[in-house]
Amino acid sequence: MYAPFELDIPTTLDGALAALANGGGETVLPIAGGTNLIVDIRAKRERPDRMVGLGEVDELLGMEFGPERISIGGRTTVSDLLRSPEIAHEAPSLIEAARLFGGLMVRNTGTVAGNIASGSPAADLVPPLLTLDAELTLASASATRTLALDDYYLGYKQDARRPDELITRISWPRLPENSANTFYKLARRKGDAITVTGVAVTLSVADGTCSRARIALASVAPVVRRVKEAEAVLEGQALTPALIDEAAEAAASTCTPIDDIRASAGYRRHTVEALTRRLVTQAWDRLA
Amino acid sequence: MTHTDMDPGTLANVQFRQVGKPLTRTDAPGKVTGRTPYAGDYVMPNMLHMRVLRADIASARLVRLDVSKARALTGVACVLTADDLADRTAATDIPGQTGQKRLDTDQPILVRDRVRYFGEPLALIAAETRDIADHAAELIEFELEPIPGVYDTLEALKPGAPLVYGRDNIVAERKIRKGDVEAGFARADLIVENTYRTPFQEHAFLEPEVGLAWVDENDVVNIRVSTQVIEHFRPIADALGVPHNKVRVRGALVGGGFGGKEDLTVEVYLALLAKQTGRPVRLEYSREDSFVGHGKRHPFILTYRTGVTKEGKITALDVNMIADAGAYVFLSPYVILYALVAAPGPYRVDNLNVFAKAVATNNMYTSAFRGFGALQACAAYEQQMDEIANTLSIDRLKLRRRNFLKTGEPMSTGFVPPSAIWTEQCAEKAWAGLGEPTASDGPIRTGRGLACYQQSYGRLTFLHDTSEAWVGVEMDGTVVVRSGVTDIGAGQISALGQIAVEVLGVTLDNVVIYNSDSAVTPLAGTTTATRALYMTGNAAKQAAEGLRARLAERAAQEFGVTPDEIDMAFNEVFVIDRPEKTMPLVDLVRTCAAEGIHRSELAIFRAPFGDFLDPETGQGQAHPDYAYGAHAVEVSVDVETGEVEVLKSVAAHDVGQCINPAAVEGQIQGGAQNGQGYALSEEMLYEEGRLVTPSFSEYLMPTAMDMPNVECIILESRSGVGPFGAKGIGEPAMTAVAPAIANAVADAIGVRVFEMPITPERVVTALQQRDAS
Ligand SMILES: Cc1cc2nc3c(=O)[nH]c(=O)nc-3n(C[C@H](O)[C@H](O)[C@H](O)COP(=O)(O)OP(=O)(O)OC[C@H]3O[C@@H](n4cnc5c(N)ncnc54)[C@H](O)[C@@H]3O)c2cc1C
Repeated sequence: MYAPFELDIPTTLDGALAALANGGGETVLPIAGGTNLIVDIRAKRERPDRMVGLGEVDELLGMEFGPERISIGGRTTVSDLLRSPEIAHEAPSLIEAARLFGGLMVRNTGTVAGNIASGSPAADLVPPLLTLDAELTLASASATRTLALDDYYLGYKQDARRPDELITRISWPRLPENSANTFYKLARRKGDAITVTGVAVTLSVADGTCSRARIALASVAPVVRRVKEAEAVLEGQALTPALIDEAAEAAASTCTPIDDIRASAGYRRHTVEALTRRLVTQAWDRLA
Repeated sequence: MTHTDMDPGTLANVQFRQVGKPLTRTDAPGKVTGRTPYAGDYVMPNMLHMRVLRADIASARLVRLDVSKARALTGVACVLTADDLADRTAATDIPGQTGQKRLDTDQPILVRDRVRYFGEPLALIAAETRDIADHAAELIEFELEPIPGVYDTLEALKPGAPLVYGRDNIVAERKIRKGDVEAGFARADLIVENTYRTPFQEHAFLEPEVGLAWVDENDVVNIRVSTQVIEHFRPIADALGVPHNKVRVRGALVGGGFGGKEDLTVEVYLALLAKQTGRPVRLEYSREDSFVGHGKRHPFILTYRTGVTKEGKITALDVNMIADAGAYVFLSPYVILYALVAAPGPYRVDNLNVFAKAVATNNMYTSAFRGFGALQACAAYEQQMDEIANTLSIDRLKLRRRNFLKTGEPMSTGFVPPSAIWTEQCAEKAWAGLGEPTASDGPIRTGRGLACYQQSYGRLTFLHDTSEAWVGVEMDGTVVVRSGVTDIGAGQISALGQIAVEVLGVTLDNVVIYNSDSAVTPLAGTTTATRALYMTGNAAKQAAEGLRARLAERAAQEFGVTPDEIDMAFNEVFVIDRPEKTMPLVDLVRTCAAEGIHRSELAIFRAPFGDFLDPETGQGQAHPDYAYGAHAVEVSVDVETGEVEVLKSVAAHDVGQCINPAAVEGQIQGGAQNGQGYALSEEMLYEEGRLVTPSFSEYLMPTAMDMPNVECIILESRSGVGPFGAKGIGEPAMTAVAPAIANAVADAIGVRVFEMPITPERVVTALQQRDAS
């Protein structure tokens, strides 16, 4: 059922990065929870020669709540998010995404970095993180760099990560006062289902106007992405139903969904518009 | 949550000690502690592992099949193709343990030249390990030349449509002609006509098909397998070309059946390779194999044309049903017969025309599934009742009340069901069970729906069904029950135990039940058609009563009274109302043993034997009896996204008599889930016959997060033809759930989605179409 592969289980980050650096022409993949990768190997979509297990690398764990920024390790699991009162306070959208994520077993093993690196257009943690302006720390044996999550995806299942790099941390600035941060997962059932349309919204209000708007969509384009056209409609404005409609329409017209077995492109567009309108309206009504 | 309602009139003079109590099922401790072996847990030394290679397009000619590389692979013991099997076929008809004539439904075991459905088996491989078998499968070269297929029943009926097999694509046709439909429509104030569509459904049992076969020292092929029907040993023997007594099927506790393990699954493949290699062979389907390895629920297109008076009395009904039979016959002729009989539902319709047709396509073949055609009929007739009520602006429950079939009245086939018909009581209780309505909130609209049903229990009477059970009492007063019945998870064997100990006056911890062995346990027939309790329960009761009569006679002699003064309870034998005249059961049994009094009894229960329904009018007795009940739900619908949430789910069923209320509730809970998935989220999608939802990541059953608390209201009319007046609940528990949900959705949004599953997208489309018009 599974093609044979080698498995390294390093216990330090340096060890993991070294293992990834010495590919020597082989396909070497990091594996965290394996909830994507094992499925892909079983379906023969991935055929790694060697895998580097991250399960013992504790440097990839831990959440830090600094005065300015929040930072979580790449190996943070979906259940870790749900157990954190600080995350619940600072990033409710992430909690909403985590709450409806897979089933308990998947939540206990699936990791945040794995969700990002899987590159799935339906990755549930990514829309919330995009609307939080998240930044990734990418480390290799030779260098460490940071990259905005917004710049990470290049195309369907293509990203800016080099094969020898790991996502070691994910961080984002604390939300300004008077902000709302929400996520809606629309799926064909409530538990354990692939997202049909995902919409995350972060809105900040200052002096009666929308000071900052972030809207990110899942499952309606080759990659999870922000809809900056819609954000631009809202930023700097005192929101009205007409403006919100305009933003919702902008979100719907700029997304590029496809027909698949879960839903048609037309339905996805329809729900992008409805949910963008709903989430922005709810956020504005609460804040203004 | 469960409450039980009994008719006060039926309570008198009935006192049960074991029956009717929510006792811990005899199979529960082993399952809960993980000690119960399922068929897949059995292994043998020197065992081979099997794999089935399947066609990857649905309609094709097999032009080349080269297994030489696979045969040459080290570790491969055997590769079988159609060339090795002469013209061997396997029957796909209903298993007849009664010698009734069967339909001619044989299917080639392996593809010889024509592939008719996606997943049809091409070759069987046995190897030293599963990995080697998988590798061998990759080494088999085959070439399929596509042939135009037909994937839609309406297309298949058109002249010039590609033929799946035979002379045309019509697999079976049935009809009912009753009363004067034209006159009935002429009397109607209103005629309502609608077409409803129901989908494929996958059984999705937890335990995929699995088995182990070996040939023993007597040349008997033994098969340990997960099945609902051990009496497939006969068609297996026929397929192998060996006498019937050279195949022995041993079941195990089954991890779910729902009709999906009613047909042959892995048995013939296992038997062939065990015989061919002389070694034990094991075959376990992956989930993906299981999705293409057994038949599905028939999709139906049902057109209902109903004439009603202004007051809501039905004057005439004309029904046309088309079922997708898929690529082979299997149980399709019987499924449409059930649909035919169920067409008017639990309503009195004296002017009735029904026409039902099963049509061959190159889709996956369809066969038995909980509800068996009657469920698809219910999906239509109950939505139609709501459409009529809305058109007439009559309360939906009131409309139903005007038309309910009542106890003693003739049903669609002219037959008068022998038991009580408590549809109205069930409907009222289920509807009231919804409690206070939940308010709508912005785009979230709430609505309610009700559906009532009629569902048979027991097999078609022309099959002349019988069932056997053996009950014996050991010398220490413990009880043994033997019966071939398979337990597919519903507590079938525990119920037999509960019945036997009730009659013999012992407690449930004193019984052991041996079941599911076609060579050793008395043959009990299939665990299908909601018949196990009815048939085998009656057989066990008869056997226990026969034994009890002998014990009571000896006890009466001991106490100097007549046998009817003797009672037995809680392991004691005593004279009624004379507490001093008592002795332990064990003493009585020892006395009997010493005197050679027979301490066991083998009984056969015979269902009523009937003939086929009249082919022209459809009149006659189709089944022994029918169960009635209702399901009510409250839903919320998001009118912007189309998402449906079931907020409340209330079931009320007349089960006749509960043997074990906890087991009954289990069936009702499961039925609510099974029906909810059918109504809302489960979808087997085929593209040109190719399954595009081949696993649980695409095929979505409701999870715990999707299910509301299901309230179970159990009514006991004690009028059924099962043991102690029991009816059946296995299939009935599911039948009305989906139309109740469909009706609730329509109530919430004011427009009906005529096709299940009611996906969010279909809801949005229906709303958009309404707004556009
Ligand atoms: C039953 C089931 C339900 C699911 N439900 C959901 C759901 O509701 N929502 C959802 O979004 N997803 C879901 N998934 C997908 C999956 O669980 C998530 O994407 C999860 O977050 C992946 O994390 P992981 O640690 O298991 O990744 P892995 O499978 O270990 O890895 C995934 C990919 O990321 C790479 N990778 C892992 N860690 C790192 C790292 N630190 N740096 C760089 N690359 C890395 C791997 O090489 C691989 O390419 C589900 C999966 C299953 C099997």
